[in-house]
Amino acid sequence: MALNAKPRTMFSDTANRFSRNLPAMMGVVVAVAMYAVAIFAPLLVTADYSAIDLDNVRSGPILQHYFGTDELGRDVYSRVIWATRSAAFVSIFVPALSLILGVFFGMLAGYFGGWVDTIIMRVGDILFAFPGLLFVFFIAATIKPAVLDWVKTIGLREFAKQGYVDYIVIFSALALVGWPGLARLVRGQFLTLRNREFVLAARAIGTSNWKIAIRHILPNALTPVIVAVSGGIGGAIAAETSLSFLGVGLQPPNPSWGQMISDYYVYWRSADLWPLLLIPSIILVAVILAFTFIGDGLHEALNPYLE
Amino acid sequence: MARLLEVKGLRTQFFTQDGVVNAVNGISYTLDEGETLGIVGESGCGKSVGVMSLIRLIPSPPGKIVGGEVIFNGQDLLKISDSEIRSIRGNKVGMIFQDPMTSLNPVLTIGRQITEALQLHLGMNNAQARARAVELLELVGIPSAADRLDDYPHQFSGGMRQRVMIAIGLSCNPQLLIADEPTTALDVTIQAQIVDLVRKLRDELGMAVIWITHDLGVVAGMADRMLVMYAGMIVEEAGVKELYANPRHPYTIGLLGSLPRLDQLTGEKLDSIEGLPPDLIALPKGCPFYARCQYRIERCKTDTPALENVGVGHRAACWVDVTRDPVTTENPWHTA
Repeated sequence: MALNAKPRTMFSDTANRFSRNLPAMMGVVVAVAMYAVAIFAPLLVTADYSAIDLDNVRSGPILQHYFGTDELGRDVYSRVIWATRSAAFVSIFVPALSLILGVFFGMLAGYFGGWVDTIIMRVGDILFAFPGLLFVFFIAATIKPAVLDWVKTIGLREFAKQGYVDYIVIFSALALVGWPGLARLVRGQFLTLRNREFVLAARAIGTSNWKIAIRHILPNALTPVIVAVSGGIGGAIAAETSLSFLGVGLQPPNPSWGQMISDYYVYWRSADLWPLLLIPSIILVAVILAFTFIGDGLHEALNPYLE
Repeated sequence: MARLLEVKGLRTQFFTQDGVVNAVNGISYTLDEGETLGIVGESGCGKSVGVMSLIRLIPSPPGKIVGGEVIFNGQDLLKISDSEIRSIRGNKVGMIFQDPMTSLNPVLTIGRQITEALQLHLGMNNAQARARAVELLELVGIPSAADRLDDYPHQFSGGMRQRVMIAIGLSCNPQLLIADEPTTALDVTIQAQIVDLVRKLRDELGMAVIWITHDLGVVAGMADRMLVMYAGMIVEEAGVKELYANPRHPYTIGLLGSLPRLDQLTGEKLDSIEGLPPDLIALPKGCPFYARCQYRIERCKTDTPALENVGVGHRAACWVDVTRDPVTTENPWHTA
């Protein structure tokens, strides 16, 4: 190597290792495809997700309906695509909310310690102690009607009708059970990093506590957080799907893979309608696996000494 | 010259599970503007904690400054608010640490770490701070400084990193630079370079320096005055020449005796001070050096000697006059 070669950055090293990981790269392809479908959904669909074609009810795959129609005559192909949009929302907002809460509280707990730490971690423990899905179930069942009423009283009737309240409540509930894990991770990082010499050096030049926490420690603590969050996306999608499958997640007419699987699983032995169940299921599995592989790939790429 | 710093009866303790560690036990000294003070002593004698206490860098909990005053420019640093002490750190008082491999943040560029203090204390904008950072890197002898500003610490060698640390310490033209064993983690040739660099910069910039070391040789050519610390106390203070020529505390004599000398015959063993320093959790009554002292007398066991004048600008804390009184025990540790 020439002496004047540009030194490789950590980013390029990581990207290089990641790109050599085949499952992870396949995961990226699937994820990119998913977001592309979500973004361009209006261009790809052949029908609205609640549009009914009474001439073709329970048709198998035919020319007008690539994946067939269900018992209401809704186009399954279009519904799968609209549901991709819901999944894409889940994959962005749930991890983002968990990340904000988890990093913020983990940082507070780990850097300041003492009673701040005790309170935050005990609250996290309590949330952790509940079975996650059951907790979200509980929130969705009890809080959602109240939020819906409240949104209507402040005059956002149209907003409520569009089903956005569904999204907000479900996403918040999933984030609420998601952040304690991240907070523990961030706290652990801060506990070790705050005693490092460079933190002392930063204090010695008069840097304030907040700046030290955010500018000096946080960037050093991010690696495991990135891995946990990217790996957690699949989990968030799976959780939303489970809720919708059970009927407490996104409500019709909002489309969701969970709902579709729940609606169509009766067709699993049907001679011509089995694609109705199989297609959303395969897509769901592919997407969850994709994010898991991406998470694993990042984990290996960011920790090259693991092997 | 004007008085820059006056430390009076500084006491720092650590409250641990095993008990209260008496790390610094009432030390008092002064420092004039532009003066260089060397602080020597073996590991764990309170050198670092003593100077970190000056700008309240003691991790709390478990550490706590329990008493004393630190008068800097007429202001007691132990009494001012947290934001006031932050405006002094890095600004009026710069600091260099022992291990340059760990005291730079691995994920921030060198430039960002140097400009931080400049923006914080001198209100510079990004461009001004970067320009000044290049000047500083040139000042501490880093070649093609402008190109290296966006490099990360891992792209620098140990000696270079210590130069960067010095640049950070000096960035705001401090009145006092605290160097906490800045050469200990470096190899010998680099040590000499760093000592020369700090000496040169001190002469150019006219700041006072407190240089902590456990290596008497390193500070000899640099310090004006020396403090010898033992078990969190100052046991001797003198001008540098006086201290080397005429040590008055048995511990100082022991330290000097343990240095290799050019005129020493080859094959001769270095003298060492037998034994270990006392447990700082349970400090013994009397002189802390009693158990290891060759000159000890009965009185040393019960009374702690105070720091008293033994010559011009020369203070020592010992009941015995080592210039006159005989050695009482050849191998104290085994008879203690």
